[in-house]
Amino acid sequence: MVQETVLDLRDLTINFGGLVAVDSLNMTVKKGEAVGLIGPNGAGKTTVFNLISGFYKPTRGDVVFMNEKITGLAPYDVCRKGIGRTFQIVKPFGKMTVLENVMVGGFSRTRNPQECRQIAAEVVEMVGLGSKKDALAKNLTIGDRKRLEVAKALATRPEILLLDEVLAGLNPTEVDESVELIKEINASGITIVMIEHVLQATMAICNRIVVLDYGKKIAEGTPAEVTQDPEVIKAYLGDEYETTVN
Amino acid sequence: MVKNMTNENKNRLVAGIVLLIAVLIPLVLDKPYYIHVLTMCLLWAYLASAWNIVGGFAGQLSLGHGIYTSVGAYVTVILFNEFGLSPLLGMFFGAGAAVLVSLIIGLPTFGLRGAYYALSTVAISEGLVVLYENTMTIGGLRLGGAEGLIVKLIGDAPLHLQFTSKIPYYYIALVMLLLIIGLSKWITKSRLGYYLVALREDEDGARALGIDVRRTKLIAGALSAFCAAIGGIFYAMLIRYLEPQAIAGAAMSTQMVFLAIVGGAGTVMGPVIGGILLALISEIIRFYLGGYVMGLHLFIYGLIVVLMIIYKPGGIIEVVEHYYRRLMNFRDREVASGAGDSSGS
Repeated sequence: MVQETVLDLRDLTINFGGLVAVDSLNMTVKKGEAVGLIGPNGAGKTTVFNLISGFYKPTRGDVVFMNEKITGLAPYDVCRKGIGRTFQIVKPFGKMTVLENVMVGGFSRTRNPQECRQIAAEVVEMVGLGSKKDALAKNLTIGDRKRLEVAKALATRPEILLLDEVLAGLNPTEVDESVELIKEINASGITIVMIEHVLQATMAICNRIVVLDYGKKIAEGTPAEVTQDPEVIKAYLGDEYETTVN
Repeated sequence: MVKNMTNENKNRLVAGIVLLIAVLIPLVLDKPYYIHVLTMCLLWAYLASAWNIVGGFAGQLSLGHGIYTSVGAYVTVILFNEFGLSPLLGMFFGAGAAVLVSLIIGLPTFGLRGAYYALSTVAISEGLVVLYENTMTIGGLRLGGAEGLIVKLIGDAPLHLQFTSKIPYYYIALVMLLLIIGLSKWITKSRLGYYLVALREDEDGARALGIDVRRTKLIAGALSAFCAAIGGIFYAMLIRYLEPQAIAGAAMSTQMVFLAIVGGAGTVMGPVIGGILLALISEIIRFYLGGYVMGLHLFIYGLIVVLMIIYKPGGIIEVVEHYYRRLMNFRDREVASGAGDSSGS
């Protein structure tokens, strides 16, 4: 069965001054996939998300979404096309309630407040924040803030969801719950690309993993393949470990 | 009986009573001075609410709203003085011009964040005051320079918004205030209101959720400018004299900000309560103390504002709401809907 390509990054490159933060990245994501984007700190993972979602304009290369070039579009246009994203440093609207936060996302699909409230209520329920829907976002725990971040993006009804370290800072129970949530979202037909440091969780969710180091793709494959890859081990553990592992 | 009512019905009842009192006051207090003071209270509440649209809901600290009150007032008064165009029609040109100016200012400045935006509004409005003060005529139309512009007196002419009695002005101000409260309420319940609060709380977060931040700010800025201009025009017709410092200067610009913030920026009723209460207090202390020591009343007024900001940063509205809820026996957790209602602290 030939799967439709949802996201296609072609030769994507961005320089900050002299630093090449993302270097000629080619990567495709097919519909329904869950792809993990991993790599050491500073490898350029979040920069890739910022390039896809329109927060940065690439120096070179293209972002193609559903066979349409969206390179250089503003973030709000990218969102309306169907790409949802979360932020590593969560961005709750502190003085709004949980439900109102999610409604802001919902308004990208409808102008009608009642309809929007309904969409938001469903999403809030789905991510497990139902009992806290009237709490102010600034009063949430970090775990709940991460869920809220996912809920806001989900309410924009995305085709593809970019999750930036939504598991970081959670306790083990919360990680398990969130892994189930992400699987559920994926099972509902939403394609997922996730940046994550919690590797077990990433492997539990993703069928394919892309490894970045210094802005370059150094490996790609199933979780098992990637963890055996000497390049990856070198990137994570340093040069001196290369020989011992081989 | 009141106990069995829903919160919303209680609100309606109280609003009805307050409105009835507001309507009847001129019949009881019939001295022109009192009516004038009350009219100014309503006008300040209105202007604070106008500022609140962009300054409160959208959180863009404009310190130059005198730009819009003055552009609206000057355009309308010039059209009236020179061409005899009734302010009832002229106000649309005046407010339209203010909207245009807000867009011209907003396009480059709304990209700025925080203090930079505030500073640019100060710079532009101060520049405008100097321009007014040094321009006697524009293309043959009299602007009056620093000595100001007198609105031609034509006597009792309702169609030209001129009345010899103060009472009609009071009712016009009351209607204006009711309209802007309605507008604010609508904003908090609509998509625009959610978008404004969202971009105030986190611009990047708002962008990622499909909000065209600059466009949304421009819309809020234009609405706010339109309303402020109408307020400036009303002020011109009430005082019948336009003086650059008074209509465009820091006194006008910062007063709107003070009243809204002390009352409770970003809420519907905060600026209204702040405007009425502070304008009243300032007039009372001026009346009783202004004669003894020059400037003492301003000092005391300033002190009250500072104390409010330190001890009740959420605004007078928080205190009022607290006691109001208790007094009215509100059922708990009947949460008010609408983005702007969640005033929080």
